[in-house]
Order: sequence, then structure tokens, then C-alpha cells
Amino acid sequence: MQRKYKFGVVIFLLVVVHAAILFAGFFAPYGYATQNRELPFAPPTELHFVDQAGKWHVRPFVYALADDSDNPGAYRTDLNTRYAMHFFVQGTPYKIAGIFASRVHLFGVSDPGRVFLMGTDEFGRDQFSRFLFGGQLSLLAGLLAAALSVSVGIVVGGIAGFYGGWVDDLLMRGGELFLALPWLYLLFAVRAALPLHVSQAQVLLLLVAVVGLIGWARPARLIRGVVLSAKERNSVLAARGFGASDAYLLRRHVLPEAYGVVLTQITLLIPQYILAEVTLTFLGLGVGEPMPSWGSLLASLQQYYVLSTYWWMFLPALLLIPLFLAYYSVADAVQERLKSVAL
Amino acid sequence: MKYLGRRLIHAALLLIGVSFFSFALLQWAPGDFFDELQLNPRISARTVEALRVEYGLNQSLPVRYEHWLRSVAHGDLGFSLAYNSAVGPIIAVRARNTLVLTGAATLMAWLLGIPLGIWTATSGRGWANRILGVTTSTLLTIPDLLLFLCLLLLAVRTGWFPAGGMFSPSAEAAAFWPRAKDVFAHLFLPAFGLAVVSLPVLIRHVRSAMVDVLASPFLRAARGHGIPRMRVLFRYALPVAANPLISLFGFSVATMLSASLIAEVILSWPGLGPLLIEATLARDVYVVVATVLLSAVFLVFGNLLADLLLVAVDPRIRME
Amino acid sequence: MGRTRNRRHRAWGCGAIVVCALLAIWGATAIRPLNAAQPGEELAITETPVGRMGGSLVIALRSEPKTLNPALAVDDPSREVLGCLNADLIDINRQTLKTAPALAKSWEVSKDGKQYTLHLRRGLRFSDGQPFNADDVVFTFQVLLDEKIHSPQRDLLVIVDKPIAVEKIDDYTVRFSLAQPYAAADRIFDGIAILPRHLLEATYRDGKFPQAWSLSAPPSQFAGLGPFRLKEYVPGQRVVLERNPYYWKQDKSGNRLPYLNELQFLFVSNEDAEVIRFEAGDTDLLSRVGAENFTMLQKQQAAKGYHVADLGAGLEYNFLFFNLNDLSSKGKPEIAAKQAWFRDVRFRQAVSEAIDRADIVRLVYAGRATPLWGQVTPGNKLWIDSALPHPQCSLDHAKELLRSAGFSWKGDGTLVDPHGKAVEFSILTSSSNAQRTKMATIVQDDLSHLGMNVHIVPLEFRAMVARLLNSFDYEAVVMGIASGDADPTSEMNVWVSDGETHLWNLAGKPSTPWEAQMDKLMQQQEVTINYAKRKQLYDRVQEIVSQNLPVICLVSPNILVGAKDRVGNFRPAILDPYVLWNVEELYVR
Repeated sequence: MQRKYKFGVVIFLLVVVHAAILFAGFFAPYGYATQNRELPFAPPTELHFVDQAGKWHVRPFVYALADDSDNPGAYRTDLNTRYAMHFFVQGTPYKIAGIFASRVHLFGVSDPGRVFLMGTDEFGRDQFSRFLFGGQLSLLAGLLAAALSVSVGIVVGGIAGFYGGWVDDLLMRGGELFLALPWLYLLFAVRAALPLHVSQAQVLLLLVAVVGLIGWARPARLIRGVVLSAKERNSVLAARGFGASDAYLLRRHVLPEAYGVVLTQITLLIPQYILAEVTLTFLGLGVGEPMPSWGSLLASLQQYYVLSTYWWMFLPALLLIPLFLAYYSVADAVQERLKSVAL
Repeated sequence: MKYLGRRLIHAALLLIGVSFFSFALLQWAPGDFFDELQLNPRISARTVEALRVEYGLNQSLPVRYEHWLRSVAHGDLGFSLAYNSAVGPIIAVRARNTLVLTGAATLMAWLLGIPLGIWTATSGRGWANRILGVTTSTLLTIPDLLLFLCLLLLAVRTGWFPAGGMFSPSAEAAAFWPRAKDVFAHLFLPAFGLAVVSLPVLIRHVRSAMVDVLASPFLRAARGHGIPRMRVLFRYALPVAANPLISLFGFSVATMLSASLIAEVILSWPGLGPLLIEATLARDVYVVVATVLLSAVFLVFGNLLADLLLVAVDPRIRME
Repeated sequence: MGRTRNRRHRAWGCGAIVVCALLAIWGATAIRPLNAAQPGEELAITETPVGRMGGSLVIALRSEPKTLNPALAVDDPSREVLGCLNADLIDINRQTLKTAPALAKSWEVSKDGKQYTLHLRRGLRFSDGQPFNADDVVFTFQVLLDEKIHSPQRDLLVIVDKPIAVEKIDDYTVRFSLAQPYAAADRIFDGIAILPRHLLEATYRDGKFPQAWSLSAPPSQFAGLGPFRLKEYVPGQRVVLERNPYYWKQDKSGNRLPYLNELQFLFVSNEDAEVIRFEAGDTDLLSRVGAENFTMLQKQQAAKGYHVADLGAGLEYNFLFFNLNDLSSKGKPEIAAKQAWFRDVRFRQAVSEAIDRADIVRLVYAGRATPLWGQVTPGNKLWIDSALPHPQCSLDHAKELLRSAGFSWKGDGTLVDPHGKAVEFSILTSSSNAQRTKMATIVQDDLSHLGMNVHIVPLEFRAMVARLLNSFDYEAVVMGIASGDADPTSEMNVWVSDGETHLWNLAGKPSTPWEAQMDKLMQQQEVTINYAKRKQLYDRVQEIVSQNLPVICLVSPNILVGAKDRVGNFRPAILDPYVLWNVEELYVR
């Protein structure tokens, strides 16, 4: 009972996060490329209900930020200037799912005030907006790569496990070979061969797709294991006895057994591929400015001065931890459910 | 014996395949080592072209591959364009440093992972157990890069650990023991980081293997006979649960040369990592191929080791 | 038992004292004569404050040196180490940026400006104790000019297609002959390490010179005329240098330089690691650090016993340029169509005026850079044309320029050309250079206010070079050039239309009247000896660049360095090697 309840919470969380990311334009107060050049590395804005005089406001408000004259590069809050928060305000135009154009944002403060829930980066861009927009690209990329890995894994692992013998040997040794090669050069080559006007988002999706395609070896090994045990089952042996074809056996009897493994692999691989982009950025293959992605938001922490000076730059990383934990617990739940079904 | 022979032939084929495809991949990537010179206003294009010819970069892939094979036969493993000398000696020292690091990390991970895994398998759903579970899955979600950066920040801010490198600048002339102590101080942080990275997976595997074994009748019987708990766990249960763990161990041996790349770069460990990244970006082709080949050797060796250990430990498995 | 041991100890102690005394006497006799000038030894005497002998310093290198062969080294870390191991004939003083005597105590130029006669210091020795004379100089230039060696320094010694000729007059006099007068002839000797003939001639004759002096060679095989000599190389970790007891400089009170006993180069993997090691106290000197790290270090400098210094603009200039190559044979119709915009000087001017250089300085370099309107940076005081106009960043004026060139705006603010085509182009940057990517981000945002739709394409460095030099498959690029020398001759290849780094148009010939004029001016200044006349010619080149904007100069980053407070005579310079140029004078307080 309690577990079920917890699982419900996890699913709810995932739905909320994914909805916020899908409708990023609406939930984000600013565009991902909107620069506030007077406010680089501004700390997260505090929301207030009580003003200096101790008076309560129904509408939350923020204080203005001003340069700290004693401490260059730092800010102080100007307690005399308040900006009230409004909901459903007009702002930077955006498109939802690339189709529905709109300018309405869930919240914002009156001009010239600014509200940065997660602070700003070196160009004074709102990190919160960038986090939401970045999720669109990263989730898509992660899903795409995971799906590619697993589908190649199903084909290769299925064939290797089902036929066994030299086919199995060949495919599995091929997998080892795949693991050992310096794939980075393929990525360099793919990136360099792309024409100039391919958008940054497409470049990233393509590169991550290549990473996913290369990553088939491990899921293939797992699926092969399942197939190996499944093909010895009595039902399969019986069906074979009735003269069923290999393709039919694979499709109807053997691969459905691998369903659980496939699902858990996908939920495990999505976070991995999202994080793989951090490494890509490290090697100069990440998404280009001004497009945000989770990988590039994390990658900005690589600069020592960011890491050691601006704590709010850690927020994207901290937010990803519960999200990924939710993914993993879905994977666990699927596994457990399958086990109980099998029993 | 016949089995071993077959595996060795497989391994040789694999290594040839790896080296050849590495060459092919390198051929695809844009630019070559001498491109950087071309942007230098003080060096003429003619000189750059002459250098390309001198080092055979203008030759076709099969010709270059053949040259390289010959140099492998001599033990040189090719010629580094950047270092202007044979690759073998360049990577030998660095491979040793990498192995020192990954060896320590593997040791640390297994020394922590087995007891922790057994403990989570045997203690019920207590608080401590849950905290460990949450911690390990959280560790899974933190990118390696970030983890090592945070460790570095810790070292710099607290001054408890040296901020990277393998030796202190002053420790070179010291005697063996102070020197070993110095290396250990430098080793701890990166090795700890690597161990932490591999711990979650290790604990999970130990736990699931132990849970399966503990449920089996023969152990219930053993406990029923009044054999002490620790003895049951380590003397009877662990060897039976070892089967999947040995494969995992083989895997960690297999990745010994490649697993520490990011840690080495961030913590300035003088291993293969920084060399490989630099060579990759600079297109110092033979250094890259040699490094890849060396890690492929470890991959093959690790898998072979795991299989042989399995045969030795588990009497049910026979060599085909 | 205890007693006997005690006694034995005492006996040991006595023995040790005697040995030490003997060693001291022996050491004194061996070293003291070297500390003072030997008879017939023509030492150089430095003007800097007298320091303290002894001690050692540590500095980090951002990647490993690749070779210790001075004729072949091209990478910065190798050259930095080599600078401490070797000496040149004529040096460029890093503070005045003018030439100064080094191994050559003086030189004369013939009337026609084609012959340079150099007089070498007498009685000098290499770091292995062997004497130095004109044969070593002749040998060095023979090696460097040998086409089979492929020395990257050879191109510096080939002046207008003719290699420089070297001739020994006597043991201490060498004559260099040029085919035609060359303004910067004395500057080319800077950084050319004189090689020991006695060690390398046999190797050279056997054709094995390129393999000589690799990092793995034992220290005993090396010798140089620099302040230090090689002591140890540990792969992946460090190079250790020790004092060269035969060095040819002396301070005012007669101490033979260098002051330091030892100099260590520590290898780290990037700038951040270098900063961290400095902050942790592992290194004593910080060679060149980014603005953000500088700001961070500055905040704690008082507490941690080091200081950082901003030396102002260096010689590096960062710029944006458009692809003006002839693309008719390259089959890139899409880019070729856009070249109609790029070739219009008003378009380039509008772009230049829309870019807020002050914002680049503030946001990319934390204020530690200098805006540029021409290719010569304010750091190069000898050559900058200070009369160059500095047009204000002005969107209105930029829009006016575009309007006069026939551009107009659609209802949504998009800029369209006279044919109604929306203005959209991409800017290439190298993804390994964070500053240039940031610069491009600001440029993109600035140009979006003009209605231009600009994309940033970060490419891995080599992929970018391939597009720039071979396929011409690009529209615009943000990049930078760091001049190797303050003199305009080092920039010949950039500004002359047949130069190999004349990046915006690699046709090999001028395609506009102003390019033709620039060619003429550059060639003229190369052979003009008189500084004032040369300056006039080069000022004109700067004017042409700032008017026609083949490259739109943006900013020049300041040179930022640091040192522990205990380092004496620390006098960093804006020309490479920034902190080690006077390494022989550095001492530990």
C-alpha cells in the first residue's frame, strides 16, 4: 500500500516535470537567449511577501538588484525599489512544440524588475528559463539515443541468443570490438561533415544518436541472456515442434520475454545519455550557444571560477538528481512487477 | 588448452580489428596534426607540406597501416608526431601511473563494496539500509565530471589533500618511504572518487547475488545447524554468489586503462588520460591508436581472466 | 653496548665533519672561480637590483613540452622550457620591445642595409664547459636552413624567398648577408637558440638530427648557453632544470647569474589546474591566466602571500571576419550569394558599429581587456596608430549604413537585402576557446538588434581550420592571432594578399584596390630601415584596415600574471615568455 503510494508520487513528479519542460515557453519567464547584460551572475532572486515596513502583500514581490560599489562583480538588493509579481503576463514570444505561438508567460515581474529563480549566467540569462528549455533538447536526445541503443541491442542480442554457435560468437566479439574503438573520431567526423546551416539542436540530436547507435553492445548482451534462457522454455520447444518459423518464434515467444529488460534498460539509459552530453561538451562537441541543454548547463561548472564562486550554478545539477532518481525508481518498479508476474 | 588457444586466436583477431578500424576512424576525422602550424603566420605552407610528406601523412591508409604494423613488431608502437619519438616508451610510464590509480581504486571499491553489499542483503529494511540505498542511487545520477570537480574543490578549499598531480614538487629526492607516502597522499582522492563511481553498481550486484543465494535451502540448513552468521555469510554464501561477481571483476580489469580518463584530466594525474585527450585533439594518430590498442588488450585480458576464474571457482562450468 | 654505539656515532660524526670540510674546500675551489669572471670572459652585466643566490622556483605548464630540440619545437610549453636552456645572438628586450645585445655584444649594419656583422662575446662556455665561438653560430644556421630538417624557424630566415647567408670572419665575428635590405633583420635573431657544434655535428652529419634531443635523451647529451641546464625529465609530471654554472651574465656586484639553483616546470592539463596549483601554493609563478580566475585570485592575494598583476593589453587581437574568398570553383552557391552582403563595405561597417566592444570587455573578460578598432593593440606602443578613429557603438548609425546599402526591415524587424532575402549567416568559432565562443554569443545578440539572424557554429579546432584554409565552407569566423613579435614584419603573412594567413581571401592576389595598396605598403615597410618612415607606412595600413574592415577587430585581452611575494626581480612583460624572460634574474627573497 505504502509502496504504491510512493510510486504514485514518483509518477506525479515525472508528469509535472515533463509538462513544465514541454510547455517551457509558458512556464519560463524569459526566453533562453534573452541577455541582461547589466546582471551577469546575479544570484537567485528572493520572493517576498512582507516589505521593509512589515506590511503584508498578497501579491509576492522582488527587490531591485544594484551593483555593489564596494565589491566589484557582486550585487546588493535595493530595498527601496519593489517590483510586484504578476501572472499570465506578456513577454518574449515562443512556440509550443514548434507550432502554437504565444507570448503569455505564467509569471513575471513588472519592468524593469527581473525575477531569476535560479540566478543568471555570465550573460545575465535566466538560468531557470534555460533549465526548462534545455530539458526539451536533452530529454529528446536521451530518449532517442536510448531507443536506438536498445533497438539495435534487441536485433543483435536476439539473433545472437537465438541462433547461438558461431553467429553468437561473431556478434559478441563484434560487440567487444565496438567497445574498444575510439569513437570520438567518428563524432568529430560527423560534426565536421555537417553543413553550416544545420541547427544546433539538430546537431546535438544527431551526435547523441550516433552515441546511442554505438552503445548497443551492453543492451545486446543482456537481451541475449534473456533470449538464451527463453528459447529453452517448454512453450518455445513445443511451438518449434509444431513447425513454427524462426521469425515467428522470435517475435511471438522469445522477444516478449525481453520486454522487461528493454524497459528497464531504456529508463536506465536515458539519464546516462543526457549526462553523456557533459562529456561531449568537454571535448568541444556539445550544443552551441545560445541554445541551452542540461549537458551544457552542467558543463559550465567545469570552469573553476564558476565552480568555486557561484553556488547557484549548481542548481541545475541538483535538480537533475531527483529527476534521475525518479527514472531509476520507475525502472526498479518495472523490474519488481515483472518478477511478481513471473512468480 | 584447446579452449585457451581458441580464445587467444580470438583475441589476436580482435586486436587487429581494433587497430585497423581505429586507423580508419582517424582517417575520417577532419584535419591532421600539422594544421595548427598552418595558422601560424611565421611558418610557410611549403614547410608544413614538407613535414606532411616527411612523416608519411600523405600516404594511403593501407600503406600507413603496414608501416605501423612493422613498428609494432619492433615494439615501438608507431611514432608520435608531437613528441618526435617512438610511442612505446611515451605511453609505458603513463600506463603504469594509470594502473597504479585504477588498481588502488578497484581495491578500494571491492573492499568497500562486498561488505556493504552483503550488509544490505542481510539487514532488513532499516533506516541505515535505506540511506545507503538512496546514497548509492544518488551517486549514479551525478556525472563523473562533476564528482571529480567537487573533490578537487574540496582539496583546494580544505587543504587536506594535494590539489592534483602524483608527486609534490619537493618530494623527488626523498627516500623510498617518504616518497611512497607522498604518492599515497596524492593517490587517495582520485582513487576514492573512482571507487565511489563504481560502488553503486558493485553494491547492487553483490546484494542481488547474495539475496538469491541466501534464499536457497542449503543455506537455511546451514544456519539451522547453528553455524555462526559471519561464517555462513563469508564461508558458504559468498563463494556461491561469486559467479556474477567474477564477471564484474573481469569487467573492472578490462576497463582499467580507460575508466580513469576524466579523473586523470581533472586531477592532473600523469596517466594515459591527459595524454590521450591531448593526442586526440591534436590528431597525434599513433599515440591514439597505441593507447586504444593497449586498452583493448586489457579488455581481452579482463574477459579472459573472468572466464578462467569462473572455471576455477565454479565446478559446474566446464570449458567447451 | 649503548656506549660503544655512542662512541661509534661520535666517530662517525667526526668523520662526517672532516668530509664536509673537505667537500666545502673542494666545492669552493671548483665553484668560486666560476662565480667571478674568468680572464678573457666577456660577461654581460645586468642593471637589475642584486638578488640572493640559491633557492628554487616552480612554474606550471599547461601541457607537456614535446621536444627539447630548439630547431624543431613549435609548441608553447617546449619553447618556454627551451628559452631557459638556450640563448640567442640578439635579444628582444621584453620591456622596451627593442633589440638588445645577447651572445653578440655588438653589431654593425652595412650602408646598403644588406650585411650584418655580429661580434660575439669571448670566452663563453656551453653548460657542459665547452667553449663557444663562431663555428657554433655557423653550424646552428646551417642546420636551421637545411631543408631536410624542416625547421619551422627556417621560414623566418628566408627573407623575400632568399635564405640568409652566414659567414665566419674570425672566431668571434660572423657576417649575415641578405639579398635585400630588411627592416627587422636584427629582430629575427631573437629566440634562435645557438646549438653546440661539438655535441650535434656528428648527429647532423648522420642525418639523425631530427631525432636528437628528444625528451627521453639523457641530460648529459644536452648543452646550451641559457641560464639553466637540464637535470631531469619525468614523463607526465615535470622537467627540472639546474643552474648553468657557466652562464654569461653577471649582476652589478659581480655574482654570476642565474640566482636560482633550480627551476621546475610542472605539467598540468589546463588553465584551471594551473590556477589551482598556484592557489594551493604548489607553484611560485603564474604565466598567463584568464580574467575570471584573475579576479578570483585577486580577492585572496593579501591573505595567501602572492600577488597578481594586470599588464594591460598584450599583442593578441581577436576579430570577426567574413568569407571574401572567390568561391566560383568551390561550388558553394549559398555562401556565394551571401558574399554580395559581405563584400559591401557598408555592411561590414554596420556590423562593426553594432558590436558593443565594451560589453565584450566586461562580460567575456571581466573588464580585463582592451577594445580594438585596428589590428595593433595598445600594448604595442611602438607601432599603434593612435590617431585611428574609435567609432562609438551605435545601432542607429549602423542602421543608416545598411539603409544606404539598400537593406530594409520587414514588419517583424527582420533585415532583408535589396532582393528581399532575409539576412542570415553563421559564425564559426573554435569550441576549445571559451572566450571566443562567448564573444560570438555577444556578437550574435548585438546583431540580432539589427535584424540579422546569426547562428553560432562551434567547431573543434581542426575542423574549423579545414574549413578556413581548404574548403572555404564558412560565412564568418571569430578568431584571434597572437603576434610572435611586436614588429609589423611578423604580420606580413596576414596583411599581404599572397600571404598564407591572409585568411579572408586566400586568392593569392589582391581583389580590391585597397588590398593592392596594402600589399604595396607592407612590402615597402619591410625594406624601409628608418623607423619614422616605416611607422608612417604601417599607420596607413592600420587606417586601411579600420576603414575597409577586412577583419573587424574586437578586443585584445590583457596579460594577467602572478607570483608569490617571495619571488624577487619579478618583472613580467607583455611578450612571450611573459614571466620567464628574465629568469636568470629571478631570485627567492
